[in-house]
Amino acid sequence: MSAQQTYFDIFGLKPAYDVDRAALSQRYRELQREFHPDKYAAKSSREQMLAMQYAARINEAHTTLRDPVARAGYLLELAGVEVSPEQTTADAEFLMQQMMLREQLEEVRDAADPAAALDDLAAEVSGLFGGEQQAFARGFAAGELEAAKNSLLRLQFLAKLQRQVEELEEDLLD
Amino acid sequence: MALLQISEPGQTPEPHQRKRAVGIDLGTTNSLVATVRSGSAEAIGAADGSVILPSAVHYSAEGVTVGAEARSRAGKDPYNTMLSVKRLMGRGVADVKSFGDQLPYRFADSDGGMPQIETAAGSVNPVQVSAEILRVLAQRGREALGGDLDGAVITVPAYFDDAQRQATKDAARLAGLHVLRLLNEPTAAAVAYGLDQGEEGVIAVYDLGGGTFDISILRLSKGVFEVLSTGGDTALGGDDFDRAIASWIAGEAGLGTDLDVTTQRALLDTACAAKEQLAQEQSVPVTHGDWQGTLNRATMAEILDPLIDKTLRACKRALRDADLAVDEVGEVVLVGGSTRTLRVRERVEQFFGRQPHAEIDPDQVVAIGAALQADVLVGNKSGDDLLLLDVIPLSLGIETMGGLTEKLIARNTTIPVAKAQEFTTFKDGQTAMAIHVVQGERELVKDCRSLARFELRGIPPMVAGAAHIRVTFQVDADGLLSVTAMEKSSGVSADITVKPSYGLEDEDITRMLRDSYAHAEDDMAARALREAQVEAERALESLLAALQENGAELLSEKELNAMERGMEALRLAHNGGDADEIHRRIEALNEVSEPFAARRMDASIRRAMQGHSLDEFDE
Repeated sequence: MSAQQTYFDIFGLKPAYDVDRAALSQRYRELQREFHPDKYAAKSSREQMLAMQYAARINEAHTTLRDPVARAGYLLELAGVEVSPEQTTADAEFLMQQMMLREQLEEVRDAADPAAALDDLAAEVSGLFGGEQQAFARGFAAGELEAAKNSLLRLQFLAKLQRQVEELEEDLLD
Repeated sequence: MALLQISEPGQTPEPHQRKRAVGIDLGTTNSLVATVRSGSAEAIGAADGSVILPSAVHYSAEGVTVGAEARSRAGKDPYNTMLSVKRLMGRGVADVKSFGDQLPYRFADSDGGMPQIETAAGSVNPVQVSAEILRVLAQRGREALGGDLDGAVITVPAYFDDAQRQATKDAARLAGLHVLRLLNEPTAAAVAYGLDQGEEGVIAVYDLGGGTFDISILRLSKGVFEVLSTGGDTALGGDDFDRAIASWIAGEAGLGTDLDVTTQRALLDTACAAKEQLAQEQSVPVTHGDWQGTLNRATMAEILDPLIDKTLRACKRALRDADLAVDEVGEVVLVGGSTRTLRVRERVEQFFGRQPHAEIDPDQVVAIGAALQADVLVGNKSGDDLLLLDVIPLSLGIETMGGLTEKLIARNTTIPVAKAQEFTTFKDGQTAMAIHVVQGERELVKDCRSLARFELRGIPPMVAGAAHIRVTFQVDADGLLSVTAMEKSSGVSADITVKPSYGLEDEDITRMLRDSYAHAEDDMAARALREAQVEAERALESLLAALQENGAELLSEKELNAMERGMEALRLAHNGGDADEIHRRIEALNEVSEPFAARRMDASIRRAMQGHSLDEFDE
């Protein structure tokens, strides 16, 4: 496993946004079965160290490829486009949408039925997220990297919002 | 190609000889050791047949006693009887003070690091106390298996941080055990059930002990156990049940809240007895002094439910972390003595919507799983059928400006894991820097656990901001952190010294080893020689097996000869009497065989890549 091999190479996958999650999981288990340090418990200390490094890289590759936002970022990185997690968009329409969604999140607590309001919001965010994933896949496949980058920025925002929705859900449960 | 040389009989162990391996559950209250014999795992008993070893160590001028006898002295000689020492592992003096009067020991003043406890046999630290327990268990293993142990798997709670894991491993080293792996307790429990039954799917392990609660969500698929998430509460357990029931009794009996220690103790004993009886009876009479009352199951449920609710909330959180709904859980496994309480079983069954597994003794299930894993790791069993992928229980981060933490590795990340971070210098000509590594989820450094301070030295002097130091944080399969650093423009690797916040440095361990041998009137030199010989045998054996597998294919004649010379030199040293010489020869052999190890890895990768990449790239 050389440093030149991409995460897609490691998993024997084509570098594209759509990834077969079942195939990814299966391949992950096969690789770990081969390289996990436990397989080297009776081997030399040198081999144990190598195994640990390989297993760590396999884990990193797996974590990146199975996460929809990290995977998009990685594809752009491979294509030479850097996007920092803090970077924001200048797209006015999307900025407006962000504000509305944030407001909606803040109003959940005061809603007549907070749980239902939160469910509605979660469904809306999830729908937007799915649509944006498709947009990214299309843009990236067509080589429109600037469009893909904008999709990634939206995905980053939506993923963060999803986490906030989950945190609020947990707060409401307690 | 040169022919492979095969060693003389007796110089290295027969490759197919069965190895002696044990699994050890080093518990807060009780410990035990198990092994696999004639295909099945079983706990190893003491001479009197008892399997459970109370985790109690008593120190006196005459010597050290461990187990039931030590525990029986706790009442009369509390200062010299160490109980629940697991709670002190990897903890600092300040943590210990926060436990308050629960631990009646005389702590010696130390420099803020690891606590030292004054006893009649001098001062001891928690690692040494744990090592005493491990020695007794190792001895049981040796007697049962008829010789020195080749390796042990030791279990730790899934939520144990780096310092606690390191302390456990240090204790094993002090006890002369070769640790194959630190295994998470819930994973061990799932192994015990999974292997026996060959189930596939999502498993929840609900572990409620005397003082701690732990929930883990695992996925088992084709023999691979993947920990998806862990959670829990380090201060919630059966002891809290007893306290809740005791305070109910105190209320019913009109005792008030300001009770002396003796009364409290008596109430707790009464509460504990009532709790246990209610597993069989619908209601039990309860007396305290002149007061008489009745406790029935419904009332106990009311008393315990708030505590059980807390555990179920943690279950919910763990499910969410694993991105699963409760109905996706296929199996529930109960671990820990407190899961004997009927109400716990009922509520767990309600929550998960299925009957939990409790067929294996909840006190033994962890050690049994550890023994099964030890058997695989030591090489007795083909490893194809079992692989455990654990996660890091708490996020790892570093201190940044203003006492804030920056997370580097998020909790529930599968281990092993490595993460690199770049740093630069603050001043012109700066040649050293310190990195403070913490573990925990909070924003402020002071709210997280301090693990260690790494000091980097030998940075080439440059103007401020010009040096790019790449620091790699690596967490191995045991959950233990190591750090390496390199200045990128010059390629100079920086020297790193580790100051563990609450742990031992290498020289401490060497000193304690020496002390413990003196204490046991053991011969340090003989012991060190034996350990070096075992290590030499392990190195020779693994290299020989590797050479037989693909030495001819991967090595030139010259390389093969160099390796054989190295092996021969190590064999000679092995038969001599100088431990240092053996270590030097092992080191030398490691160096010559390094390219071979790398090539073997590459060959495995090529093998692993084949078959897949072809059809997937050609579609």
